[in-house]
Amino acid sequence: MLIEVFGPGCAKCETLAKNAKLAVEQSGGAHEIVKISDYAAMAARGILSTPALAIDGKLRIQGKAASPDEILKFLQG
Amino acid sequence: MSDHPPCTCAPSNGPTGEKLPGFLRKGGWLCLALPAWVVLYMVIHRISEWIAFGLFGLTPKSHLGEAVAFFFYDVPKVLLLLTLVVFIVTFLQSFISPTKVRDVLSKRGTGLGNALASTFGILTPFCSCSAVPLFIGFLRAGVPLGVTFSFLVAAPMINEVALGMLLAMFGWKIALIYAGTGLAIAFLSGLILGRLRMEAHLEGWVQDALKAPAMGDGEEEEKSTLAERIHLAVQGVKDIVGKVWPFILAGIAVGALIHGYVPESFMAGLLGKKSWYSVPLAVVVGVPLYSNAAGVLPIVEALLGKGAALGSTLAFMMAVIGLSLPETVILRRVMRPKLIATFIGVVALGILLVGYLFNALF
Repeated sequence: MLIEVFGPGCAKCETLAKNAKLAVEQSGGAHEIVKISDYAAMAARGILSTPALAIDGKLRIQGKAASPDEILKFLQG
Repeated sequence: MSDHPPCTCAPSNGPTGEKLPGFLRKGGWLCLALPAWVVLYMVIHRISEWIAFGLFGLTPKSHLGEAVAFFFYDVPKVLLLLTLVVFIVTFLQSFISPTKVRDVLSKRGTGLGNALASTFGILTPFCSCSAVPLFIGFLRAGVPLGVTFSFLVAAPMINEVALGMLLAMFGWKIALIYAGTGLAIAFLSGLILGRLRMEAHLEGWVQDALKAPAMGDGEEEEKSTLAERIHLAVQGVKDIVGKVWPFILAGIAVGALIHGYVPESFMAGLLGKKSWYSVPLAVVVGVPLYSNAAGVLPIVEALLGKGAALGSTLAFMMAVIGLSLPETVILRRVMRPKLIATFIGVVALGILLVGYLFNALF
């Protein structure tokens, strides 16, 4: 699955990216993580607060650094 | 492990210990935390005096003694208050999100929209790194520029944590004055900026983004359970207290120096109500100072204690937390210089008026 982490580079965004990586490791699956820091791209996706995380194009988390467990739940569907 | 007395505010069905779901164990921990909090809060004043005058052997009423006692009293006091305030505020915030606010505001025009935007600005979870996506997201959903500005002014200035701390440290009157004048500034600044028709002064890429069709507008929100909200609140306490304590220590150190060393006559001259320049001085000093809202409160406490006028002190506090340079730098990404200068100018003018008004009234 494709995991997109949106954030301009604040501390919370780094935490979310790190947690996404942990979740991918725990899931054991082959998921790709992409970091997006471009404001125009965030605007186009309708993101209102950062950090945000989308899985396979669907926005799942906005405005908080979700824990690895929370992200794992989305990965396992 | 299971011989702990069952806590009265946690449901008592089932044995305590490992079999309980996580949030119930956390619930038990929380209802121990509240009495512990109260006891700690009651003893810190004595402990601070013991540290300053007993342990360090400083003389009461001496400059150094008073400064040290202020420091050791204020550090635990502010941290304790902050913990409680952040817990309550984060819990309440879990009921409101920028997405919901956007949906409400996009259906309102100017006027009522500005009033709602200012009010929502108080409680909506907002950090300055989110300012840009939020700004564009609001505009794209059809929220007028002026209404968006009302929100952008209110969100940092009437910071929910600052408001809770003001209430705890200075009582409801000061908290109400702060919230009321902050709301008025946010409401009027938004109205004025909306009237000026500054849409052409948004950066080009923003104007393009506003024309582009929306590709989906965020996720539909899932309802959180009470346990998740409490978990979020505990997480908020860890995050925020963990992040702002250096600001608090710095703020309290400055406050302690003012408390111990700055003579009242000096403060009354500098920030007193009789000197015409005290309000602009407070704003000019406050804007470049970047501090968390919680860090500025010990300074405010010391200033008021030394006879600084209420209006000047309010102006100082609003300038520090409401107009910050980092946020301006971030907003510069979406606004051309003329718009950002107008934005700062209008808000600064509002702060000046509030300062003069309260110096004249009290």
